[in-house]
Amino acid sequence: MKLNIEGLLVYFPYDYIYPEQYSYMLELKRTLDAKGHGVLEMPSGTGKTISLLSLIVAYQRAFPLEVTKLIYCSRTVPEIEKVVEELRKLMEFYTKETGESNNFLALALSSRKNLCIHPEILHANIVVYSYHYLLDPKIADLVSKELAKKSVVVFDEAHNIDNVCIDSMSVNITRRTLDRCQNNVDTLQNTIHKIKETDAAKLREEYRRLVEGLKEANVARETDIYLANPVLPDEILQEAVPGSIRTAEHFVGFMRRFLEYLKSRLRVQHVVQESAPQFLKDIFDKVCIDRKPLRFCAERLQSLLRTLEIADIADFSAVTLISNFATLVSTYSQGFTIIIEPFEDRTPTIANPVLHFSCMDPSIAIKPVFQRFQSVVITSGTLSPLDIYPRILDFRPVTMASFTMTLARTCLCPLIVGRGNDQVALSSKFETREDFAVIRNYGNLLLEMSAIVPDGIVAFFTSYVYMENIVASWYEQGILENIQRNKLIFIETQDAAETSMALEKYQEACENGRGAILLSVARGKVSEGIDFVHHYGRAVLMFGVPYVYTQSRILKARLEYLRDQFQIRENDFLTFDAMRHAAQCVGRAIRGKTDYGLMIFADKRYARADKRGKLPRWIQEHINDGSLNLTVDEAVQLSKHFLRQMAQPFRQEDQLGLSLLTLEQLESEEMLQKITQIAHQT
Amino acid sequence: MTSLSEEVLLVVKKVRQKKQDGTLYLMAERIAWGPEGKDRFTVSHLYADIRCQKISPDGKAKVQLQLVLHTGESTTFHFANESTALKDREAAKELLQQLLPKFKKKANKELEEKNRMLQEDPVLFQLYKDLVVSQVISAEEFWANRLGGINNTDPSPYNNKQEVGISGAFLADIRPQTDGCNGLRYNLTADIIESIFRTYPAVKQKYSENVPHNLTEKEFWTRFFQSHYFHRDRINTGTQDIFSECAKQDEKGLKSLVTQGVKNPLVDLQSLEDKTLDEGYGICTTQPSTSNANKSVKDSSNSAIIKRFNHHSAMVLAAGSRRGELASDQASETSSTDGNSRDSDFFQPPVKKVKLQEAIEFEDLQRENRPKTVPLNLKKSDRYAHGPVPLQSQQYTTSQDIINSVNYIRHEMANYKPSLTQVLSSTAATSAIAALSPGGVLMQGGAQQAINQMVPTEVQGELKHLYVAAGELLRHFWSCFPVNTPFLEEKLTGHLEEMLQTAYSKFQIWQTRRMMRKT
Repeated sequence: MKLNIEGLLVYFPYDYIYPEQYSYMLELKRTLDAKGHGVLEMPSGTGKTISLLSLIVAYQRAFPLEVTKLIYCSRTVPEIEKVVEELRKLMEFYTKETGESNNFLALALSSRKNLCIHPEILHANIVVYSYHYLLDPKIADLVSKELAKKSVVVFDEAHNIDNVCIDSMSVNITRRTLDRCQNNVDTLQNTIHKIKETDAAKLREEYRRLVEGLKEANVARETDIYLANPVLPDEILQEAVPGSIRTAEHFVGFMRRFLEYLKSRLRVQHVVQESAPQFLKDIFDKVCIDRKPLRFCAERLQSLLRTLEIADIADFSAVTLISNFATLVSTYSQGFTIIIEPFEDRTPTIANPVLHFSCMDPSIAIKPVFQRFQSVVITSGTLSPLDIYPRILDFRPVTMASFTMTLARTCLCPLIVGRGNDQVALSSKFETREDFAVIRNYGNLLLEMSAIVPDGIVAFFTSYVYMENIVASWYEQGILENIQRNKLIFIETQDAAETSMALEKYQEACENGRGAILLSVARGKVSEGIDFVHHYGRAVLMFGVPYVYTQSRILKARLEYLRDQFQIRENDFLTFDAMRHAAQCVGRAIRGKTDYGLMIFADKRYARADKRGKLPRWIQEHINDGSLNLTVDEAVQLSKHFLRQMAQPFRQEDQLGLSLLTLEQLESEEMLQKITQIAHQT
Repeated sequence: MTSLSEEVLLVVKKVRQKKQDGTLYLMAERIAWGPEGKDRFTVSHLYADIRCQKISPDGKAKVQLQLVLHTGESTTFHFANESTALKDREAAKELLQQLLPKFKKKANKELEEKNRMLQEDPVLFQLYKDLVVSQVISAEEFWANRLGGINNTDPSPYNNKQEVGISGAFLADIRPQTDGCNGLRYNLTADIIESIFRTYPAVKQKYSENVPHNLTEKEFWTRFFQSHYFHRDRINTGTQDIFSECAKQDEKGLKSLVTQGVKNPLVDLQSLEDKTLDEGYGICTTQPSTSNANKSVKDSSNSAIIKRFNHHSAMVLAAGSRRGELASDQASETSSTDGNSRDSDFFQPPVKKVKLQEAIEFEDLQRENRPKTVPLNLKKSDRYAHGPVPLQSQQYTTSQDIINSVNYIRHEMANYKPSLTQVLSSTAATSAIAALSPGGVLMQGGAQQAINQMVPTEVQGELKHLYVAAGELLRHFWSCFPVNTPFLEEKLTGHLEEMLQTAYSKFQIWQTRRMMRKT
């Protein structure tokens, strides 16, 4: 159908439309009009991707000078491929409707192994790739730095974007890293020797260039051709590479010294935590390394590798890592922490020293993106509470909205099970984690559910260790045996290949009618990347509240930083983080309006307002007071009721006019009125 | 009288039937028996009518042979010649064994089919008992519109009937019992053994290798239950038993399954992420210690359990679908080559393409092209979905009523003045409190107890039978419309009414019997 979105003609490749899709497009258009950033939460399964693509493509066609490019970032390879398929569908629709073959060029990049940085990326109208291509400075520099300023950037499935940012800027150094780095440095030295004998001119030429400094890059940045690189701060661009590392030999010598220093730091007996300035002071005191040459390390190494014409850069990953670390630690006095641990907490007898250089501020990595591109849209099915993202990513959105899912029948049924039938409070909290009664009641809940839920059930645990213990305990108590009478059991393991196999078998068992249960882990790969549509997931159980492992020093440092810099209280952040993962887990089962599924939150803490209030609106609004603190039996009764209702045929006519609209219905005054209520502005 | 020109294959004298001495004749097409001194057969069965023969076990005082007919009737012959009874019986049995299969094929196909249907469908069998055996309707009528499929010469739906799978919990069903003197008894049935063999071919192989040459059957299973193999939480500590090899084979099988990879790219967790961070980058919030060195015994036993569960489930699943596997594998292969040739612009494996298409499809956003069907319009869909509930909760109170009564009670409470001369006795008070406590008589209204939980199962069963039978009669009744043949009219006015009457009275009898039992 052809839609009129506030005066913009939008081709939408379907016969019908969901009201929330229309509402979403409206908000999106306002964001683009304002040339600002947006945060939009819309439940998965409501056709978010096609709405995005339809509107932005239409916008590009209508205002080719205002928006020149769409950069669509998603998280997993299947997600990226789905976007490409949807885009293909949209383009086919354009061709069919307009009769002209379109000259739109879309490009999808996936897997760095066969990455091809073709100039085409500059001409493409749409680029689809993974987050890392934009957020990881090491890759962004190669792939994305020349993307036009007038681009619209979309981060889909962005609920974890802060972690991606942090990961891309953090470095861990072990003894093995240092040993490999040592080898790298030796190789470099030998290569330099060889070149000196054969082609000394090359090295002289490099030296000359380094005296000139990084002016070239500076020019580019001032004229706004490049995306800024957070590893290459502005000040560096003004200056020449310091003399102490300008010649190749000096630089190699410098790296050796730095390496020896790091080795000495890893020889600690107790945990050390310090800030970047403290680290710099120490390195100056001990080995007289100045801050300035450190800052140039990454650039200097790249230049050397280019000069030496080294083809396989992967072999030099260790020295690259160390040089990146050197630049980062000397560039940012804030937002990072250094933690040196001599051994793992669980095994204090085995020496395994690690230096963690952890980024605590996700805004550092994403800052260049917000600064450079005119519109950045952050969107996902679960972004609640919306206001926290602008705070931790440090940007000012022009639109923030959470969309509900309009439903002709309530196809999701969130239940909070807080008690066993014996009234024992259910919770995964630390004090009762080993409690036999809780574990037994959890088992009982799963057993009862396995008897009444058709086909597939997915159960998530808060951590892998927790799941292992519970499974062992259920096995001893004979609970698993009883569950096996109803369904086959598959369990996520720490091995991705093994889990993939289990997943496929799980789906097979759902497919052939036998029914199966998948035991899985929140924050794991399954919870983040696998959908359980229709019969692959008729119920999701969330055993406990998936808090992150709070004893980690890195996390503690980050919490402290959030408190000091952003005034976010530790508990608020932890709860937010736990709830977004819980929402991700339970949201895996509902992938559309014709789908249906139970969402069982098995922990009494979910009933509290501070937890519940952080769930996405489209889940929250279906939790009523009657389903807040249920016993297992009560939950089973409600579930039975729900499942029987859902099992009735559900036809298109049932939805039409309510949660599914024809063009005429959409254009009616009354409907337009209603639609304004779908978007919940914050 | 039967013609004497029939070829008589075997004559056995001194055979008793219904306590009468006589002679048994096995002829070319039938078996017959005549009492002594009489010149006719009182028993005569065509071989085609005989379903099977049964013999009494050796060592029984009476040497007998029983013929079971397709109709379900049976005839028993007692070989009474003391000296040669066994030999006589064996001779008859042997000959029958040769003859019966020849006639099997000729046997009434229809009868067999009816029999099969009754055997396979317990509900139908019950219906048959309720309606035909109790003579509500005749057998012909009963079968009239059920045998449509049989006479069509299309045997396909019966030939490839689905194989029964294996219960996922079959190992759990082998509960050990203590025998009272420090031992454990495991009860194995043929079904369980079959399940074990089908699920774990390695065990079957061991069995055929060792039994009976090296071990007796009993020893074999004893060792099985003692093995580490059977107890999945124990880690194989290297003790040699014959099953340690099975465990290794399982391990291998699991590995090969894993290395084979998955067909559906959307569940392939290994290629889920476009780019995992290079080594050394990123935050490790938890420290999963993957090295085996620092794993406790408990940890590795836990992960052994998890592995075994995955393996077990995969094996059970495979055992259930092993038969269909060949066909479907071929199908997918042909389709894949097919798909590749068409899909020239992208080198995407077709499975992936299909899965992606599935994943992005919104069926409800597209115009439906399906033929229109008439929706079932239920007035009270709740009753349809959940069955009857006790009348109590049907008594509907509006929220206004509730508010009013709460206000009333509040008012009463506020103006409550105890008149101490007129108080409840302590027992009455206790029982009132009990009735008002959770689980008490007066507190049951809230929890919607389904009626099926309140009525004993046998009563439910009986009621279900009556319901099904009545339904079947109604089906006959409605199928008479429109009444356009005299036969239908006859059926309608004549005996159908009668039948319904009978059915109704049956129901009434049941109900009165119930009431009587209750009181």
